[in-house]
Amino acid sequence: MARGYKLMVNCGSPKADFWVRVLVPPLVKIIIIDKQINIEELRQMAKEGFGDFVKGVCDLEKEVLALGGELHSDCYEMLIENGSQAGNVWGFNIFIDLPKEKCLEFTSLINIRPNVDNRSMEIQSEKIKQKISKIIEKIIVWS
Amino acid sequence: MELKIERWHKLSLAEQIGNIGSEVQRAFSWGQKGNEEQKEKSIDRFLGLIDLSLGDKRWQERCLEIARMREVLCDYFFAKNSFGNSFENLINYFNAFASKAN
Repeated sequence: MARGYKLMVNCGSPKADFWVRVLVPPLVKIIIIDKQINIEELRQMAKEGFGDFVKGVCDLEKEVLALGGELHSDCYEMLIENGSQAGNVWGFNIFIDLPKEKCLEFTSLINIRPNVDNRSMEIQSEKIKQKISKIIEKIIVWS
Repeated sequence: MELKIERWHKLSLAEQIGNIGSEVQRAFSWGQKGNEEQKEKSIDRFLGLIDLSLGDKRWQERCLEIARMREVLCDYFFAKNSFGNSFENLINYFNAFASKAN
């Protein structure tokens, strides 16, 4: 469902079609992406946001990521609006200056889901963490 | 209280969450020192601040995470952390906003 302050722009990137949502105020960019994106683009997003990391939400079923924003719930909501099922989406953070194998943190308030036995901010299932890591590895290119 | 609400509602989301985090940190520190009275005062303050943020019309459409934050903190401080969150995870969450705000 569209919200009053939301502006959707198709960026028409040569590498990927992705949507940018601008929240006013403050200006916070979120992209939904299922094709490859370079780590440099994430570095830029981190610079505009939290500095050393970018927030993200992954749809395990559709193998798509929402990246950026101030709150994981903003990414979560964008994926739901994009057709994702709530049960398939999980939050994470990418620390862009850490080595690839250490850059993921599976902590988010949206991960608390007692109905699937995940009661903490951190994802408890190794299987889910591995699945997210694989999707991220497929989408984000560390050059 | 009127002035406080007005001032709070002029802060950015990062500033609001960063300030909430400072009170959470204080509540934890007082708890560690065994000062239950000060701990409770800090808990009262951060819950009050979260409620002010929940009442901020700018975040009306984004209150899911703020409400979840309240739930997690209540669980941590009142329900013996039945969700099993580490204090480190909680404080890292708030620190990111505090850094962004500064």
